[in-house]
Amino acid sequence: MQPYIQGRNVNLTFRPPNRGPVRALQNFDIDVNEGEFLSIVGPSGCGKSTFLNVILGLIRPDSGDIRLRGSPISGPSTDRAMVFQDFGLLPWRTVQANVELGLELKGMAADARRKVSQPLIEMIGLAGFEGHFPHELSGGMKQRVGLARALATDPSVLLMDEPFAALDAQTRDLMQVELLRVWQQDKKTVLFVTHQIEEAIYLSDRVMVMTKRPGRAKKIFPIDLPRPRDYEMRVTPEFNELKLQIWNELKDEITV
Amino acid sequence: MSELLETGMAPAGDFAPARSLWRRIEPAVLGAGSIVVLLLLWELLPQLVTLQAGTKMLFTTPSKIAVTLWNMIVTGKLWAPLSVSGTGFVVGLLLSVLVGLPLGVVLGRSRTLNAMFDPFVTAFNATPRLVFLPLLMLWFGLGVTAKVVIVFIGALFPILINTYEGVRNADRGLINVVRSFGGSEWDVARLVVVPNALPYIVAGLRLAIGRAILGVVVAEFFGAEDGLGVIMVQAASRYQVDVVFAGLIVFAVLSLIMTGLVKLLENRLGGWRPQRTGGE
Ligand SMILES: Nc1ncnc2c1ncn2[C@@H]1O[C@H](COP(=O)(O)OP(=O)(O)OP(=O)(O)O)[C@@H](O)[C@H]1O
Ligand SMILES: [Mg+2]
Repeated sequence: MQPYIQGRNVNLTFRPPNRGPVRALQNFDIDVNEGEFLSIVGPSGCGKSTFLNVILGLIRPDSGDIRLRGSPISGPSTDRAMVFQDFGLLPWRTVQANVELGLELKGMAADARRKVSQPLIEMIGLAGFEGHFPHELSGGMKQRVGLARALATDPSVLLMDEPFAALDAQTRDLMQVELLRVWQQDKKTVLFVTHQIEEAIYLSDRVMVMTKRPGRAKKIFPIDLPRPRDYEMRVTPEFNELKLQIWNELKDEITV
Repeated sequence: MSELLETGMAPAGDFAPARSLWRRIEPAVLGAGSIVVLLLLWELLPQLVTLQAGTKMLFTTPSKIAVTLWNMIVTGKLWAPLSVSGTGFVVGLLLSVLVGLPLGVVLGRSRTLNAMFDPFVTAFNATPRLVFLPLLMLWFGLGVTAKVVIVFIGALFPILINTYEGVRNADRGLINVVRSFGGSEWDVARLVVVPNALPYIVAGLRLAIGRAILGVVVAEFFGAEDGLGVIMVQAASRYQVDVVFAGLIVFAVLSLIMTGLVKLLENRLGGWRPQRTGGE
């Protein structure tokens, strides 16, 4: 059986005008199974966001092969959605209109959209803020709006680019639980970029460590901890052992 | 009015402390007061100094202007020329928006089309509009068509160029967001590019209104059979200084009304932006 998402030998170089080229991905290989929760950790600037954008269909690699369900990814599609690292909220749209963006582009009617967006807005703890504009929200609130917007279209592949980075520790814990619930309930495939090794282990089926730029998969750690996972699991010896292994793999790539 | 307001960039007005009543009305009171003082001085000038007969012919007072203007209004003499000038202004301005806005968006989004059109836009915009006047009058005569064309040419470029700049300035990240949800190029324009360019477009519209009024005046001063400017030129040749001033006031009021309308439009469309001042 072929993997759900398959990347082979993916190469990508940015060529900004008037500046030298930047190699972001080099000989990047990846296999993701259907319904899998895969986390990606790697040094800053190694190409994690770039890789998610390739899967999203926004950036086309220079060479290599990237497939979803066996067919090459040629552009964006509503079966994939991204929680963007910099939120990507439209400043002239309210919280509700931002959450409903994808639904609107699908051509869904206003009352049907509302039925989808309202529970999501409650889930992210922003009930009462439906009519607020992004500039009236905190960083963490904006990030949660980005999460709700990605979930609204009910994509089968959820691409999450450091989706909880702007949240305080407590909200982050709550959002992690909600994410796991949605993932299990709707059988989504999740690619989750984070800088927190602990978060990666806690959420994932597998954790991929990337090399420094130009990025490629350095090592993949299966996380065989039982589910459902709870908060206490984070202090077990198995958990800490994994943390140490991943950190050892990652630290060689980090140059300061 | 600062430059910041023109582009919609707001200073950190959210935290401006509440101001006292006097601090708030002070500028209005001082502004109105200085106008009143100036008008009074003007009115009293003939009593204060004796004007020579020749100068007296060229002189008028605010009260005479007011009476003349009032008479023009009640006798209906104002409306026919005003409607001619107004038609030229409104039609020309509307056309410039209808052409300039979409063209600005398209040129801002398409590298190829921009490369093709840019020489024309630059050359046309660098040429003083007045040099087209003889040609336009030859082609379109002295009627309202020539006026519309002159207004159109004057108002088009501020709108076109500002829209273009605003479009070029659109956030690539937000464009990608709309694309990622399956949005088309039309969706990108509608949801990101145009809203982002709105402050630029409004600033362009303001400039365009000034240019449009200028276009009407120039056309009517230098060759038209009808209009407010024609009345002013004729009055000047008969030394009816108060009529000239009355026409001037009407043009000024028109321009103020249009600027007010743009302000209203701006407030309606810009509701999502941070408040500019603590008081309002
Ligand atoms: N549009 C672009 N044009 C030019 N260079 C780019 C562009 N986008 C990314 N890069 C470069 O590609 C490299 C990888 O960027 P990317 O955003 O994928 O890193 P990242 O792993 O997500 O980093 P972080 O953890 O800091 O978010 C960086 O060196 C960056 O400078
Ligand atoms: Mg990134």
